[in-house]
Amino acid sequence: MKLGLHTLVFRATSLMVVAALAIGCTSATQPGASIAPSAQAGPIVGGTVTIPIGADPTLNPWSPNAFVESLFINRVLFDGLTKPGKDLAPAPDLAESWTTASDGLSWTFKLRSGVKWSDGTPFTPDDVAFTFNDIIKKADLGAQNAASYAAVKAVTVVDATTVRFDLSRKFAALASFLAYNAGILPKHVLAADPLKTTSFNKGIPVSTGPFKVEKYTSGQSVALVRNENYFGPKTYLDKIVFTVVADPNTQIAQALSGELQIMILDNKAAVERVKSAAGLVVVSRPLVQYYWLSLNQTDSRFTDVRVRQAFVTAIDREAIIKSVELGYGSIANSPITPALKAYYDPSLASKYPYDPAKATSLLKEAGWTPGSDGVLQRDGKPFRFTMDVGQRGVLEPVNALIQQDLKKVGVIVDLNTMEWNAYIQKDVVRRDYTATVNWWTYPSDPDVFPYYHSSAAGKGFNIPGYQDPKLDDLLVQGQSASDLDARKAVYKQLQQYTSEVLPYLFLWYPQEIDVLSSTLQGVPELGLRDAMHYVGEWWLAKK
Amino acid sequence: MTRLGFVALATLAAIALLAVVGPLFWTIPPEATNPAQGLAVPSAAHPFGTDELGRDVLSRLIHGSRVTLLVGVAAMLAALSIGVLVGAVAGFNGGWLDALLMRFTDGMLAVPAFFFILVVITVLGTGVATLVLVIGALSWMPVARVVYGETLRWKTAEFVVAAVSLGVPAPRLLVRHILPQALPSLVVSATLGVAFAILTESALSYLGLGVQPPLPSWGNMLQRAQQYVFTAPALALYPGLAITAVVLAFNFLGDGLRDALDPRRRR
Amino acid sequence: MVVGQEVARFLFQRIALGALVIVFASALTFFFVNLAPGGPASVMRFDVTAEQREALIRQMGLDKPVTQRYVEWVAGAVRGDLGTSLLTDEPVTQRIGERLPNTLALAGAALTLSVALGIPIGLIQALRRGSVLDHLLSLISAIGLAVPVFWLGIVLILVFAVSLRLLPSAGVTGIAEDTLLDRLRHLVLPTIALATTILPTVVRFMRSAAIEVLHEDYIRTAASKGLAPRVVVTRHALRNALIPVVSAIGALVPRLLGGTVVTEAVFSWPGMGRLALEAAQGRDYPLITGLTVVVAAIAVATSLLVDIAYTRIDPRVRLA
Repeated sequence: MKLGLHTLVFRATSLMVVAALAIGCTSATQPGASIAPSAQAGPIVGGTVTIPIGADPTLNPWSPNAFVESLFINRVLFDGLTKPGKDLAPAPDLAESWTTASDGLSWTFKLRSGVKWSDGTPFTPDDVAFTFNDIIKKADLGAQNAASYAAVKAVTVVDATTVRFDLSRKFAALASFLAYNAGILPKHVLAADPLKTTSFNKGIPVSTGPFKVEKYTSGQSVALVRNENYFGPKTYLDKIVFTVVADPNTQIAQALSGELQIMILDNKAAVERVKSAAGLVVVSRPLVQYYWLSLNQTDSRFTDVRVRQAFVTAIDREAIIKSVELGYGSIANSPITPALKAYYDPSLASKYPYDPAKATSLLKEAGWTPGSDGVLQRDGKPFRFTMDVGQRGVLEPVNALIQQDLKKVGVIVDLNTMEWNAYIQKDVVRRDYTATVNWWTYPSDPDVFPYYHSSAAGKGFNIPGYQDPKLDDLLVQGQSASDLDARKAVYKQLQQYTSEVLPYLFLWYPQEIDVLSSTLQGVPELGLRDAMHYVGEWWLAKK
Repeated sequence: MTRLGFVALATLAAIALLAVVGPLFWTIPPEATNPAQGLAVPSAAHPFGTDELGRDVLSRLIHGSRVTLLVGVAAMLAALSIGVLVGAVAGFNGGWLDALLMRFTDGMLAVPAFFFILVVITVLGTGVATLVLVIGALSWMPVARVVYGETLRWKTAEFVVAAVSLGVPAPRLLVRHILPQALPSLVVSATLGVAFAILTESALSYLGLGVQPPLPSWGNMLQRAQQYVFTAPALALYPGLAITAVVLAFNFLGDGLRDALDPRRRR
Repeated sequence: MVVGQEVARFLFQRIALGALVIVFASALTFFFVNLAPGGPASVMRFDVTAEQREALIRQMGLDKPVTQRYVEWVAGAVRGDLGTSLLTDEPVTQRIGERLPNTLALAGAALTLSVALGIPIGLIQALRRGSVLDHLLSLISAIGLAVPVFWLGIVLILVFAVSLRLLPSAGVTGIAEDTLLDRLRHLVLPTIALATTILPTVVRFMRSAAIEVLHEDYIRTAASKGLAPRVVVTRHALRNALIPVVSAIGALVPRLLGGTVVTEAVFSWPGMGRLALEAAQGRDYPLITGLTVVVAAIAVATSLLVDIAYTRIDPRVRLA
């Protein structure tokens, strides 16, 4: 006690402060890092690219346990009939070309010939028929994404290089859907148990893509090597390694220390730090994704369109994008995202500027007037409800901002933050909620039927349960229109109409921030999930 | 008590005072957002700056201290109640009940508590009440052992035997005569229990299982601040230091009390 | 003396008791997780239709009553089959078997480090009791106990992996090389983080045990007889001081295993803790139950080992 321990405590804590501050300021200078290897002549063969994923993947695109972390690797391993083109329109992959019958009820796909599975077995139309008839259309299996193919009756093998999809209704988006996590599986390996063969899903699957699995180490990594049987040109990279790194900050730390070559920056808050690091390139990419606020239409307060419009006007979406997404996003007023360039209507972006006064007057029109405490009321009842917050991504801060914005116009929101699994059960399975914020990601096609049609209310993906014959009609028209111009016209109307009636309150279109090592070249300007289809074009420049 | 113990006590008293009366003097609401002022550096208006949504960090620390201390103290009380009940009943009754309860206590002591806290909270959902009960339910065992030991020790003491012969009912006997003897040890356990509960809450927050936002706790502030370690490390520093300081103070206080109250351990 | 019989009876009693604890824990966990809100991750995802949900629930057998499922689970468990993971369709025993060695390696390393550092530090503190060094070390111990592990972990990553680039930040091995040296390098940061949760306790126990022993008459006698201080300390004091420390270390093992959960999350360490988190979040009922059984078994085994170690160090202690 002679020394005075409190002095020591003080000194020790100040040391910790200094240490922690120093970390924040230290920038990772990398003496050996080159500026930009653009001077080099052309692609070089060789090298390994390491990509982080959040959890162990399931190497089977149709497994109900293939979650978001599985998408990246499955898109490398399992080719579909089509893939997202660099303009996001469907491009040939295992199918070389396709035609639609004049009645729109059957599609014929001409398959690439000479394709082999990674085990050397020839790829055949039977594999396509197997994938659809014996996996996706078998309701008992509960295959992932099966609902997307509700219109497909059956797939028929026409000849050695042709398959035909027979439909129960017109489905203009079929080719786009086939480019979206719809890899073809090998019949000769999976005939016995298509979705639960663990030596495949968690081991070494047989695949058609440019790379094949070399080693799957649970909880650690999945290593891919060049597939010598691949039908396309020889890949530049020798290997791709997906490492399992659950903590987003650890992912960033690894990117900063040069352990990773490409990643999605999930923690956008760190973008400035990553930008300042030598040897890393930061790019933003559009996504086919939008955030929304769903107001349950079984609650009579929310069936009045003026209330929905007032809410959208009262929420400072610009501020959300700025503080939560660090500016990487744009305001949404319809479900069609800017990434779908052919369809997106930019004129709607400025439809509901942030304007609390306007919101107040809209609410007044709807019968909501401020009480003595400033809280809006109608028939003596205060405007107060609970928003369930699923614990994931940016949802928690976004809800905190929305709560404060609505408070400014006299609407009281209580936030109920829930663990994700229990949240899905309450809000999605039971639809036992009043209001909630979430997002949709969908194939690169404006066919948003599943999320808006009346038939999807209650149990399907129509989360607010909004039912409107006019909207239903537009959705069906969009599916039936055959040529691009006709579809464009329908979806322009659909954007206009949804922005007016607000089935969901559209919040914003997020962008993805990708971090690349400056040595990594040839990555197309697509979101990383889509860019995975082009991994054969990636190459590593010498440092 | 040692000087360090007094320093710890004074620190805790100051923090408790701040938690109770702080909001009267620092009136910015902890949930009030102002995104235009996000991640502001310290200023007169915001002495500790603001977080990413422009919320005042000082106000969140003050309100967070209420939640954090509440969780810590309540969980400790829960543990204390269970522990006293189990220990006293086992010690006083003896026989098969004693054997059963104390074997159970041993079994629970061998269990990695955090592992089960994690499973239970993930599955049950995260409310302040759930947190308190779960932390309490998995940390009562040391208390039970202390009370058990004291009960056995004093059960045969003359004044207790006399009381029994006078027909004093068992619960009253426990409360009036035996528990006061165990009080010094209990106070020490309780102090360390608060520290344990606060650290557990912060660890759970890291896994997203602690006190849920928008209610601020030091644990969830620290968790949110993690996102900003690369760009605004001070955000992680304040709640981190607050937790460390309070846990340190409770631990020092526990040590101090142990020395002061337990003559056998006096140096 | 019938020591052999006594030991056998003791062992039998403890093992029977341990088995009871494990059965109890498994039943509690099984019913608790099955009856709690939520469902397997494949069912509780946003983009699954009601029909798919029903099909999946039927497939996993979750439409059967819980009691029936428990009976089936027990029937499998006694044959060593802990069921099939709902998240990966792999046997639960295989999934745990893949992760257990990693957790044991991490916990073992942290325990070794804590003992290797804690005993000498505690001893030094006891010998230099009241000195500045003693106070300083006590203070560092106290701070170590008070710092949240995950916070320390992040600081360690930022300093040693990002700024100094001395050590890897995550995982058990590097991608390119899987050598022993590489594994050891990966082990360093998580071990330090985890060790801080128990090292201070080891130090404190050692310090107070050594202080008590140094006051004992026989130590004073030995010293007064002119034995070299080093001999006194190592031959007499250390051995006796170790007795309470060993039991304290036994009590620390559960804390250590609990601490691995957070440490594994910070350092992406593929162990049981992370598996437990995934299992709980994904409501992988058989996996959660299986993990409970294994963790309880480890706890039971450790306390048994500690009791045995206790008798080896101190021959006066009899098994009771």
